[in-house]
Amino acid sequence: MDSSYIIAAIVVASLMTYLTRIIPFLFFRKKEPSALIRYIEWNMPVMIMVILVFYALKDVNWVAYPYGIAEIVGVGITIVSYLKYKNALLSIFLATIVYMILVQKVFV
Amino acid sequence: MSFLSIVKVTVPVMMGYIPLGMAFGLLLSSLLIPWYYAFYMSVFIFAGSGQFLALSLFASQATILEIGVATFLLNLRHTFYGLAMVSTFKNFSWKKNYLIFGLTDETFALLKTREVDEKNREKIYLIITALNQFYWVLGSVVGALLGNILPFNYKGIEFSLTALFVVLSIDLYNKSKLHKPFLISLVIGFLGMLVFPSDKMLVLSLSLAAIILILFKKQLDNVHG
Repeated sequence: MDSSYIIAAIVVASLMTYLTRIIPFLFFRKKEPSALIRYIEWNMPVMIMVILVFYALKDVNWVAYPYGIAEIVGVGITIVSYLKYKNALLSIFLATIVYMILVQKVFV
Repeated sequence: MSFLSIVKVTVPVMMGYIPLGMAFGLLLSSLLIPWYYAFYMSVFIFAGSGQFLALSLFASQATILEIGVATFLLNLRHTFYGLAMVSTFKNFSWKKNYLIFGLTDETFALLKTREVDEKNREKIYLIITALNQFYWVLGSVVGALLGNILPFNYKGIEFSLTALFVVLSIDLYNKSKLHKPFLISLVIGFLGMLVFPSDKMLVLSLSLAAIILILFKKQLDNVHG
């Protein structure tokens, strides 16, 4: 991968992350944020995260073998184990290991 | 508070950051990115899901603009943390800039839930934040180096990212007061995945979600009034 691309991306991602953290200290030292801003802040993150799930699955071929079975199983394991045990790392590792076995040993 | 007792406070974050950082490092090295970029990313970006997202955008050769927009939107929730910290940090020195920089989900949770006496508060907060970042950097560098050394078939390891997004979606859904935005994003994401061109899917879906959220505020928002 092109190193100037990665460096530019890291710089931009750093600035954007810092920006999201410093905004309230710049703008809301005195006045309270508007109801609309609070509403967006409250509700946009969950929408972004859900869309990211589908973004991560966008290159799966659902109409040809193996029909995204490994992905469906992986997501299913993540959801069920997380609802049951409420342990993020456990769910991520479990689902990833099962997924890796499926794509390496079963659907080859 | 002695240094050791501050370390004790940060143990739960350590237990999370070191393995998650290692997963990040492994994923980075599986994309054939040199290990020191794991170090730079964890030092300068310091955002768990933000860094995972960056990797998936690298992998699909997203433009720098897309990386900027996506990172900003993903981390927008941190604005909320800052909001809750404005009055706490008000009388701190210039060093509070590092506290603001390091205000991750986990650091925020620690600072908000631990009672610290007024006197040394700034210093203790700085040590907590620095320790948390140290765990994160350590985990990601170790993971990236391990990925280079271990002769191991990493095919499929990128699914850790998908699983992370699923877990964070459930977390955010549980925290949110409204359910419709979640359902709407399920529909947008699903259709976007099938209909939108692969390289524009993220930006198109996110824009659509933001537009719907704002346009239909009246219908969706029955909490804030």
